[in-house]
Formats: sequence, C-alpha cells, structure tokens
Amino acid sequence: MRPANARQLNLVQAVNEALAMALAADPDVVVMGQDVGRFGGVFRATADLFERFGEDRVLDTPMNESGLVGAAIGMALYGMRPVAEIPFADQMLAGFDQIVGELSRYRYRTAGQFACPVTLRLPYGAGVGGGMYHSLSPEAYLVHTPGLVVVCPSTPADAKGLLLSAIRSDDPVVFLEPKALYRRAGGPVPEGDAGVPLGRARKVRDGDDVTLVAWGAMVPVCEEAARQAAADGVECAIIDPRTLWPLDLDAITQSVAETGRCVIVHEAPRTGGLGGEIAALVQEHCFLHLEAPIMRVAGFDTPVPHALEHVYLPTPQRVLAAIEATVAY
Amino acid sequence: MATMSFREALNAALDEEMARDPKVFLMGEEVGQYQGAYKVSQGLLEKFGADRVVDTPITELSFAGVGIGSAMLGLRPIIEMMTFNFSILALDQIINNAAKMRLMSGGQYTVPIVFRGPNGPAHMLSAQHSQATESWFCNIPGLKVVAPSTPNDGKGLLKAAIRDDDPVIFLESELMYNMKGEVSDAADYVLPLGKCDVKRAGKDVTLISFSKGIHHALGAAEALAQDGVEAEVIDLMTLRPLDMETIARSVKKTNRVVTVEEGWPYGGIGAELAYRIQHDLFDYLDAPVTRVTGLDVPMPYAENLEELVLPSPRDVILAVNTVMYRS
Repeated sequence: MRPANARQLNLVQAVNEALAMALAADPDVVVMGQDVGRFGGVFRATADLFERFGEDRVLDTPMNESGLVGAAIGMALYGMRPVAEIPFADQMLAGFDQIVGELSRYRYRTAGQFACPVTLRLPYGAGVGGGMYHSLSPEAYLVHTPGLVVVCPSTPADAKGLLLSAIRSDDPVVFLEPKALYRRAGGPVPEGDAGVPLGRARKVRDGDDVTLVAWGAMVPVCEEAARQAAADGVECAIIDPRTLWPLDLDAITQSVAETGRCVIVHEAPRTGGLGGEIAALVQEHCFLHLEAPIMRVAGFDTPVPHALEHVYLPTPQRVLAAIEATVAY
Repeated sequence: MATMSFREALNAALDEEMARDPKVFLMGEEVGQYQGAYKVSQGLLEKFGADRVVDTPITELSFAGVGIGSAMLGLRPIIEMMTFNFSILALDQIINNAAKMRLMSGGQYTVPIVFRGPNGPAHMLSAQHSQATESWFCNIPGLKVVAPSTPNDGKGLLKAAIRDDDPVIFLESELMYNMKGEVSDAADYVLPLGKCDVKRAGKDVTLISFSKGIHHALGAAEALAQDGVEAEVIDLMTLRPLDMETIARSVKKTNRVVTVEEGWPYGGIGAELAYRIQHDLFDYLDAPVTRVTGLDVPMPYAENLEELVLPSPRDVILAVNTVMYRS
C-alpha cells in the first residue's frame, strides 16, 4: 500500500532525509563522524548537511572510533542528541569499550539521573565486495549488551521513520544500516517527520505455512524465496523485527503459532548469531505449536570472504531449501 | 593425583609448556615482576627470564597485536588479560587479525596464540569488571573458546590451548583461583579441545553449563537427588566448537535440558545451545530447552543486588521443575 504523500526514495536518501529533518527540528541534534561533513559521508548519507546546517552541527571527526563514541556520550550527558556515524560496522570494534562500558549503561549506573541519547549509525554487512574488514554484521555482540537498543531497517520508509525515532529516544540506539540496500530499488517514503515506533516488527508478507524471520538485507532475500515457494503452493509469512533488541516476540510467536514452522535468516555467521536467541525464544514460547525444528539460514562460520562473498551470503535458493526441509519434516 | 588450587594448576600448565617449547612465552600487564595480578604466573619470571615473561604497559590493543604478530612469525604467545573486561579494548586485534589471519592468508599464516585471564562476575566489582565475555567471542569464526570448571581441567585444557595452532580464548574465573581439586600428575597431562565432560551421570534431566556455572548445576543436582530426580551435568569445557555428540547422547536419554550460565540472557551461550538441541534433537524433547542466566542488566555493585542478578542452584532447581512439569 502506498502511504499518503509518499515519494520514491532509496534507503540512503531516506537516511539523509531523516537526518536533515532531525537537525532542522531540534537544535540539540548534532551529526558527527569521519567524513560526514565536507565530504558528505563515505556512502553519501550525510550529503549536503554540512552546507545546510554548518560546521557546528555537522562535525568531521578524526579516525578514532573510541574518541568519537566517547565524545558523543559526553555531549549526550550535557543534553545534546548526537548522531554519530562509524562508516563500517567493523570499525565499531575499536570503539566497543566505550559502547559497552559507558554508552550502554550510563542510565543504569546513575539510577536514571543521566540519559544517554546517542544514536550510533553503523552501515553494516556484506554484499558490496568489502572483504573481511568491511563486511561485518555485528548484531550478536550488540544485542547481548544490556542497555543498547539495536535497530535495523530493511526499507527506505523504515530507515527514515526508525532513524527519527532513534534520534528522539532517550536511550542509546545502535542503528544498523544495510549498506547493500542503500541504492537498491527505492520505495515509497512518507514526507512528514513522523517516526516509526521502536520495538515493533513489520509483517512483510502473510502466509499460513512457514514463518520466515529476517532483518536488514536478508528481507528481500526472503521475499524472493517466498515468491518461489508460493509457486510450489507453500505460503510463507515474513516477519521483519526491525528492532533487534527489544524484540517484538509477540509478532513472531503469533505467526509461528499459526504456521508451526519457522526459518530464521541472517547474514552474520551462524554460530552464536542472533538466530540462536530467536530460536531459543520461539521454542520456549511455541513448543507445542512446532511441527518441525526451527531452522536457520545464515552466513557460514568464516570471515566474509572477498571473492566468494556470493557463496557466503544466504541466497533465496538456500532459504528455499530450508523452507522445503521444514515443510517436509 | 595431587591436590592443587586452580591458580597452581594453571601455573603448572604454563611452567610445563614453557619448559617444553622455547617458542612459548607469556606477555601481559604485571605478569613478570609482580608475579601476576592473580599470581597465576608466580615464579615464571625467575625461571624463564624477562625475554619469555614480558611485562607490558596498560594497552591491551597493542600487546594483543604484538602477540598476534609474533604468532604469525612462529612463536606461541600466551597473552594474559588482567581481566577479560579489558579484552574489549583489544577486540579489534582479536577479531580482525587473530581470528581472520589464517583464512585471509589462505593458510599461509597460522596464529597459535592464547588469550587467557579471569572472566565473568567475581564479587562486588560492578558493571565494568564483572562481564561475562564468552558470547561475544563465540560468534567469531576462527576462534576457539575454552572455559574450564576445575583445576584438573584447567591444567589439561590450558596445555592443549597452548599447543593448538588456532587462537584460543581461555576463560578463567577470579572466584575459582583458590578452589582446590585433584589434579592429574601424569607426566604430560593434556585434555582435548572441543570435547565435553559429563561431570555427573543422571537420567531425568540434562544440565549443561561451564566454568563457575558447573558448580551451581552440581549443587542443584545434589539437592534434586534428595528428591529422587537424577540430573546429568555436562561441562562444555570448550564453548566453541561445541561437542554436540556428548550433548545428544545425554538428551536422548533425559529428553529435558536446562542450560546454566552467569552471563546475560539475550544472545547468550544458552541461546546457541537451545537452537542446536531443538534442531538436532527435535523429536527427543519433552519440554522446551530452558535457560538459567544472569539478569539482563549491567552488574550492580551492591552485594544484595549482585546476588539477585546472578543465578543460583535454586534457580536451576526451579528450571528443572519447569521442564519436568513438576510443581
């Protein structure tokens, strides 16, 4: 359904629009990170913001992720709403001590005296030939840490709406942007500056036979698999959690209660990935509804290879094979 | 068998491996002159000298990197993290270099390095010094993750970790360093990585844990036995890769599983176990795999609150009651 007053934008344009709207609406919002200013962002997500809002609101920072996150935390404690970009999620590791040790728990440590409204934007994932240092899907490390809200949109409309909600949230939000989808086919994006609520899943597709759970760049992969399965008479529901913590478990369990079958798809390595957590919750809450084991289709247990990236990443064919296996069980 | 503390058993493993192989060396904060923040490296500086027991500045990222470089060039470094909380500062080196180098170089380089030190909650050390880091490492291809629960296992597994050609994360526990136990006095006692150990046999329910959690599980099993419930307790010992064979053998017998860990619940070790068990053993399960974990909060400082956050044998018993549909 096409929302009122929507135009076609791609995902990176939607991110850019959300940042511009947040900067215009609230003088406490500041955009910061490596090359976000004069250069307009490694992926152009911050294009033109420096020209429109000036160097006090759009800050170029040195290549120092720990310093970037630390500075954002300090600014947030003084009442600002920094939106910090680390251009590749892999580089988050260099700032992870600040993310885990300070950002995630300031509110808790101070018994609520200090909120820490930082939004940390992380273009993540494979699919653009980034090789082993520029393809990380870090959601499992992030969601395991109490205090961090972790968001991952899969459409331009969600990218805009969720990013506005993230910036306006008083909790720290890590905002994972699937860079493989930045410039794929666009989608309708509403014009206003209304947010999409955090913590709510989106039902991408209805179906009675199998529930697929996927986020970010794996959502279109599941849509293609579901189309192919439908040709064989198997109807898949697709749930995009959109927020990976806190998880909208009800949306998933309601669907699995109807279908009795569940396939979880993510591009991060299989072992220890978020698929394990979702499966643990689904089997706990839907034990008597399950007709077959929960399956997962994930990246392999290797770093993301450069030449064989297309083999590493889940494909519609691999998802379809899991759908067929769970139906045939 | 000799009775030894966990600390002494780990020290013996370091001592024996350094004596056996001149390529093995120890590096970290206070490992030399101070004899180790927790005295695990006691006496090693005097015995092996400053070339092989290296004190470093407080900079985890750099000495992890130096260790990785030396491993690529043929040495076998053991890097002590004063606590694994500080390993977060070295994650970039551990994940991007140690874990990936073998694959990136098409096998031309191996990285035979051990990162070891205390992990997980101790006692009133608050949010930044009580973290259970194992789940972060267990999502990283290329790493092995080991967490022993007894002095004997600690010795045998540390020796295996030092001899392994892949990077190994070796997680100890501050609260267990003084724990005493029987340690094998076999001349060269090495336990295999990637194998579980059945710490207690039982037929009614399988408790799966590791490190300090094993002692909660064993405590619960003792109490349950008084009540006629025989719990089997499986010690993972290696968290990555998982020994699913031993787990499957137990679950096929008991049909019920409770996992026990001190870390955070969401995305914890129990999640991976629950997935693997329901996937591989779907038709054997009579109840959902149920997890006992720490609570989903940063660790509070106050003693009473810390006690509330951490799992106890009583929590394990309640979970066993749930999976056995007992009230």
